[in-house]
Amino acid sequence: MNALARRISDVVGADHIVTDPAELLTYEADGLTHGRTRPALVALPGSTAEVSEVLRLAHAEGMPVVPRGAGTGLSGGARPAEGCLVLALSRMRRIVEIDLENGWARVEPGVPNLEVTRAVAAAGWYYAPDPSSQVVCSIGGNVAENSGGAHCLKYGFTVNHVLAVRLVLADGTVVDVGGPAPDAPGYDLLAAVVGSEGLVGVVTEATVRLLRRPEATRTFMATFPSTTEAGNAVSEIIAAGILPAAIEMMDRLAIAAAKAATGLDWPDVGAILLMDADGPAAEVEHVSARAVSIARAAGALEIRIPRDEAERQLMWKGRKSAFAAVGRLSPSYLVEDGVIPRSEIARVLGEIARLAGAAGLRVANVFHAGDGNLHPLILYDARVAGEEERAATLGGDILRLCLAAGGSITGEHGVGAEKAAFMAEQFRPDDLDTMQRIRCAFDPARLFNPGKVFPSPRLCAEVPGPYRPHPVEVAGVAERW
Amino acid sequence: MVTQATTEARAAPVELAPTSLDEAAAMMLQLAHDKRVVTFAGGGTEPWPGGPGEGWRAQGQADEPGPERAGGSGGLASSAPPNSMVVLRTTRLDRIREHAPADQIVIAEAGLTLAALQRQLAPHRQRLALDPPLPDRATLGGIVAAGSFGPRRTRTGTVRDLIIGATMIRADGAVARGGGKVVKNVAGFDLPRLLCGSQGTLGLVAEVAFRLHPLPERSETVVVDAVDAAGAWSLVRAVREAQLEPAAVAALPQGERFQVAFRFEGFGPGVRDQVERFLGRVTFEGRRGERLDGDGEAALWARHDELRTAGDVRARATFLPAGGAAAMAALRPLADALGGGAIVHYPTLGIAFVTGTLQDPTAAARALAGARRAVAPGNGAVVLAAAPAPLRDQAGLFGVVPPALQVMRRLKAAFDPDGRLAPGRLPEGSAP
Repeated sequence: MNALARRISDVVGADHIVTDPAELLTYEADGLTHGRTRPALVALPGSTAEVSEVLRLAHAEGMPVVPRGAGTGLSGGARPAEGCLVLALSRMRRIVEIDLENGWARVEPGVPNLEVTRAVAAAGWYYAPDPSSQVVCSIGGNVAENSGGAHCLKYGFTVNHVLAVRLVLADGTVVDVGGPAPDAPGYDLLAAVVGSEGLVGVVTEATVRLLRRPEATRTFMATFPSTTEAGNAVSEIIAAGILPAAIEMMDRLAIAAAKAATGLDWPDVGAILLMDADGPAAEVEHVSARAVSIARAAGALEIRIPRDEAERQLMWKGRKSAFAAVGRLSPSYLVEDGVIPRSEIARVLGEIARLAGAAGLRVANVFHAGDGNLHPLILYDARVAGEEERAATLGGDILRLCLAAGGSITGEHGVGAEKAAFMAEQFRPDDLDTMQRIRCAFDPARLFNPGKVFPSPRLCAEVPGPYRPHPVEVAGVAERW
Repeated sequence: MVTQATTEARAAPVELAPTSLDEAAAMMLQLAHDKRVVTFAGGGTEPWPGGPGEGWRAQGQADEPGPERAGGSGGLASSAPPNSMVVLRTTRLDRIREHAPADQIVIAEAGLTLAALQRQLAPHRQRLALDPPLPDRATLGGIVAAGSFGPRRTRTGTVRDLIIGATMIRADGAVARGGGKVVKNVAGFDLPRLLCGSQGTLGLVAEVAFRLHPLPERSETVVVDAVDAAGAWSLVRAVREAQLEPAAVAALPQGERFQVAFRFEGFGPGVRDQVERFLGRVTFEGRRGERLDGDGEAALWARHDELRTAGDVRARATFLPAGGAAAMAALRPLADALGGGAIVHYPTLGIAFVTGTLQDPTAAARALAGARRAVAPGNGAVVLAAAPAPLRDQAGLFGVVPPALQVMRRLKAAFDPDGRLAPGRLPEGSAP
C-alpha cells in the first residue's frame, strides 16, 4: 500500500479500502462487462466528510477518481480509468429524512431506488423514476445517469424529481445545490449535475420528490401480428390525446425470451403491447377503455386485462425480465439504447431487421414505445470468432440509424465509455465544447471520470478564446454590418 | 471586466433585431469583437432584474431615452454610440422550424410568442403545457431564460420539465446545441435545462424544442371563496387525500382572504367525476364551491394573469408548501407597502407572487427584508423580478447568496469571460 492509500485508509478505515488485486476484480467493470480496467484502489467512504477528505487527498496527488454506485450501469460509466481511485458509495445507504407534508425524502446515494418507495408506500406515496434495475440500482447512480424507466413517458426522468443534492467537488469542497423549496436563486445547477455521469462531483445526499400514489392503475396487454400494427396502435392512442403512464412493446424474439424465463402463457405473436394508465379512477377507466378499443381497431389479435394486482405484476415481470431473459436464447448479447421519433418506429424496426440479417445476427427488440426509446438486444456467441465484433458493429449501425431518424444515441443508459465516440456524430464541435465548459466549471482539473462522455480528451485550459473565425464571418454574412 | 452596465447606463441603448440565427450569430461575434455589453430581450413580459433592456421599457421611465432602432441588417457599428448598452431583441426570430404532431414535439425560434405557437398547435389538438401571463407578448426564448411558468405548473411542471432541446449563441458567437428533438435523451450535458432561468447571462437562447401535450377534452374550475391561507392548505391536503389530480391550483386575493381556484382537465367523464368529488370535499370542509367553465372560467384565469403582472414591483417568493400560511403572513406587509398590492399564491407548489406599485422604497425594502428572513429557514427566498431602482438598490434583487455561488461564477466565466452578457442578473453580491 502506497502513502496515498494509507492516508485514504486512515480516513475511511482499513476495512473500507480495497487494494488486493483479487478483490479489485469486482470493480473492474459495471453492468457493461465487456470492457474492464483495474483501478489502483477502491475506497468506500461512509459520510460526506469522508468523501470530502478522500477527494482532497486524491486531488493533491492529481489522481483521477471514478465514482461508483451499485455498478448496474449499462454504458461503462463506472468503468475505472487507468490508475484511478474508485469511490464506491455503497456504504452510504441511509434514508436521512422523509417529509411527506412537503413531499420529499433526503437520502444517501447508496440507497437502492426501490427502497425510497418502500419507505413511504404504507403512507400512500412513491418515488416515480423506475428503471428496470430498481431493486438494486442506487439513487446516486440514478442521479449520475438521469435514469428513466417505463413510466417516464408521463412522469419524467430523474432530473424532474431531484430537488436538491449535496455535492462534493474534486478538491473536497462541499456545496449544496437546489433545495426542498422550489426555484433556488441562481443557475439551475441541478440540471448540470443530474445526468453528468460522474464528471462533475460526488453526490453524497439527494433530496427527491415524492408523489402521492395514483388512485387507480389499469393495465392491459394487446397482441399483434407484427410490430407494424402494434406501432400504429401506439400512434393512434397518443393521437387520441391519451398520455399513458407507460406503453411498452416487445417483438417476437423478446416475447419468446420472456416466456422462456418466466413461464408466462403468452402467445407466440409478432408483437405485444403493455400499457398502464393511472390517475383518478373515472379518468383512468375512460382512458383505458378507449385505448383498448383503439388497439382492437388497429388489429390487435387479443386483449388481456389482468384480473388482479398479482396478474398485473406478472405481466410487468415478463416485460422487466426481458433483458436478462435473452440470455436464455443466446450465450452473449449486447443491450443497445437508442431513441427515435415515435412515428418512425415501424420504419426503423424494419431497418434494424435488415441490418441484423446482413450481419447474420438476431436482434430482440424491447422498447418504451411511447417515447421511441429502443432497446435492441443483439444476440451473439462470443466463442465464435468475429461474432462479438460483428455485434458491436451492428450496435453502432443501429445508433447511426437512430441519429439519421432525428434521435439520440442514448435515452437512459448514458454515454459512458461505450458511446463516447458517437457523441461526435450526434453533436458538433461547438456543442461539445460548450458541454466541456459546463464540466470544467465544476471540475477544472478534470479528475472525475476521465475518458467518459466526451469523444476526445482536452484540457479545461484549452477552451478557445472568443476570436476564432466564425462560420458566418467566413461566409461573409458578418460583413453586411 | 467590462463595467459599462453601470457607468454608461444613461447612454441610449441600441436595439438589434436579427432575422435569422446566422445573423444573430454574426451580431454576437461583432459585439464580442467590440466588447459591448449585451442584454437580450423578447416581448417585454419578463422585466429581468437589473438590466435596462426589458426593465426600462416595461417601466417606461420618462427620463430614459428611447431606443435607437438598428434591427435587421441595419448598421450597429456605424450608428451606435461606442459605450451604449446593446439590446438584442429576438422578436423577428419567430419561425416554427418543425412541428411533428405524431411525435408531439415542436422546434421554434426564440422570438415566437407563446400565443402564436399555441395558435399553430391548436388545430392539431396540442399545446405547450405552459401558461405564464401575457402569452401574446411572452416569447419562447424569454420564457426559457426567465424560467417562466403559470398555475399549470401544478400538473405539467415548469419550462425545464418541457424543454427537450436548445440552440444558444454564446458570447463569442459560437452556435451551440444541446438536447435534440426527442422526448427521451440523455446524451451529453443538459444545456437546455441549464439555460432555463439563466436570465440571458450565459448566451442568447436562439431556438428551442419542446415536448407537447394533448389539448384536454374538457376543463372545469371550482372556486372556493373567502379562504384564509391555512384553509387553502387544508383544501390542498383534502385533494391529496382524495387522490384527485388538479391541473392548476391558485389562490387569488379576496380582501384579506383568498379565492382558491382548482382547475381540472382531461376527458369529460374524468373531469366531471373529479369536480363532483372535489365539491363533496369542499362541502365536508364546511365551505361552498362554485363551478366555472367556458367564459366564466376564462375570466377567472384572466384575473389571475392581471394580478400577477400588475404594478411596477413584482416579487416571487418560494418556500415549502406546508409553510404557506406562515409565508402569506410574512408577505402581507410587503403587499401592504406596495399600495395595497396583491398576493397570488400557488399553494401546492410553495410559490407566491407579490405585485404592486412602489410608494415608499424604504418601507418596501423593510417589508421585503422581513419576508426574506421569515422564509429563509425553510430554504425559501423572495426575489425581485422587477422593481424600480430605489427598491432594487436598497433591498437587492435576491437577498440571498446561493451556497454554490463559486460554481455559478465559474460557469458564468466559462461562457462569458468578459462579463458582457446581461450584467447584474445573478445573485452575486446582491445580498442587502
